Amino acid sequence: MNRKNISKETGFGKKIADLLVYIWAAVCLFPVFMIINYSFKTKREIYIGNPISIPQKLNFDNYKNAFEKLNIGVMFANTVFYTICSVLILVILCSAAAWAIQRNKKRFFRFSYYYFIVGILIPAQALFLPIYVVGYKLNLVDTRIGVILMFVATNLSFGVFLMTGFITTVPVELEEAARIDGYSLYQIFFRIVLPLLKPAIATLIILQSFQIWNEYLMSSLFVSSNDLKTITVAIQGLFSQQTSDYTTAFAAIIISVTPIAVLFMFLQKYFIKGLTVGAVKG
Amino acid sequence: MKKAILPAKSDLQYVSLVLPGLIIFTAGLIVPLIMGIGYSLTDWNGISQNKTFTGFLNYIRAFTDPEVRSAWLFTIKFTVVNTIIQNTLALLLAVVLDGKIPGKKILRTIFFFPCLISAVIVGFVWTKMYNNVLPAVFDAMGLDGHLCMLFGDEKTVLQGLLIANNWQWVGYWMLIYLAALQSVPAELYEAARVDGANSVQRFRHVTIPMIASAITVCTVGITTGSLKVYDLLVTSTRGGPGRASTSIIYYIYSAAIGGRQYGFGSALSVVLTVVLLAVAVVQLRMLRKNEVQM
Repeated sequence: MNRKNISKETGFGKKIADLLVYIWAAVCLFPVFMIINYSFKTKREIYIGNPISIPQKLNFDNYKNAFEKLNIGVMFANTVFYTICSVLILVILCSAAAWAIQRNKKRFFRFSYYYFIVGILIPAQALFLPIYVVGYKLNLVDTRIGVILMFVATNLSFGVFLMTGFITTVPVELEEAARIDGYSLYQIFFRIVLPLLKPAIATLIILQSFQIWNEYLMSSLFVSSNDLKTITVAIQGLFSQQTSDYTTAFAAIIISVTPIAVLFMFLQKYFIKGLTVGAVKG
Repeated sequence: MKKAILPAKSDLQYVSLVLPGLIIFTAGLIVPLIMGIGYSLTDWNGISQNKTFTGFLNYIRAFTDPEVRSAWLFTIKFTVVNTIIQNTLALLLAVVLDGKIPGKKILRTIFFFPCLISAVIVGFVWTKMYNNVLPAVFDAMGLDGHLCMLFGDEKTVLQGLLIANNWQWVGYWMLIYLAALQSVPAELYEAARVDGANSVQRFRHVTIPMIASAITVCTVGITTGSLKVYDLLVTSTRGGPGRASTSIIYYIYSAAIGGRQYGFGSALSVVLTVVLLAVAVVQLRMLRKNEVQM
């Protein structure tokens, strides 16, 4: 960056501030170090050893246990499936709705826009009870499709809001040209508009997938059978057992955080861009 | 303009693009909102076929029940302190990271990383921190390890939860402030400096007004997020010790799911929704006034 930070202090005060930030960073890093450390400890080391000591050797037993005893592979696959499906549906539905709303100024579309926007202010978590009841009445509780629809419904309004803002960057001229070439509306949407929305879609993907991946309250209500559970719900179950298997739990934590951390690394640029817009949701 | 060259048929095609989203959104959020209002006027227990209309009885109870009041009290305390601390820390960090500090990118990632972890996991990790890890650290330094067991005492449980929540979220809001700070044109600082403003004055009269929209976003985000605290409690304090850390959503959950009082739970849900909406609208109005239009 070329921008000169002439506003910033130089000298002693700044050095102190920097030092404090480094110390602070070390403090913040400590729990992360602790999670990693615990995930490699043996049971013996947990019960007899000092909590802050480092394990004598790198043992992957906890990770093996997480997969073999906990069946975390299945929960992991479930969560990947729910996240990918929900986000994919959200991308299509939100861009389609946003595009139609931006391009057609008839009253119905203006109404739809405000209708969706009101949804941003309605807190889905506060309505978890009736959402669950609706799911139950539609026989959607404890089904894969139900979980996905629940995620789509509760995240839609924000997605539409985000995409409507981005659509303005898509040039109308391209669409007109395609129309003259005989493209149908749907062809224009899928072949011209969607590809042009790539940066917006990346933003939507990263913002939604990290929320859906970590969601707990609604997923815990919507899924009860073991082979449909999400990884967060499964890990929660592990913590609440009396005979808490801590070492395995810590390995499971690492396993559950990794995909989101990797996704974040790849889409970091879009994430930061979307944050400012995204925070409006609250 | 464009409309003129479009045949009417295409209006229907446009409608077909909006409709699927509209239906799912209505069924999954708007219908529940209306149903929730309906249930809140009954004594439904969640299973039985019949429910009796009880008028505003649930709402009267929602405003008089001492347990509900203590849940609100905890939630409000958590929210107010969180909004102040998290905003301040995030802004301070962003200001330092906006300057010339070596290792900027790594620091940014370190502070940001915890928000990618589910709050359920954060609760568990901090329980272990307070119960095992930090006492060991304190003992090693010759201090009393029991001081760290923040979740064990009614007086310190709020503190403990605030630390865990801030560890998770400060970096997130910091990124928003950072983006805002980086978009403030350097010429403004230069002009202020020429006019003889010192660093505190520049921060007060240039930085703050220029990042006002980020302040709005963060304040509303932290406030509404804190009012909805639940996940963090499930794996850490479970509302305890006693009822000391029972948040309003935690209370709704246990009353409705555990206590089979769907009607009452729905009434509380409706109240919470109204509170969240009101807080967001009031904050937006107050904060938007201070924003500079560029």
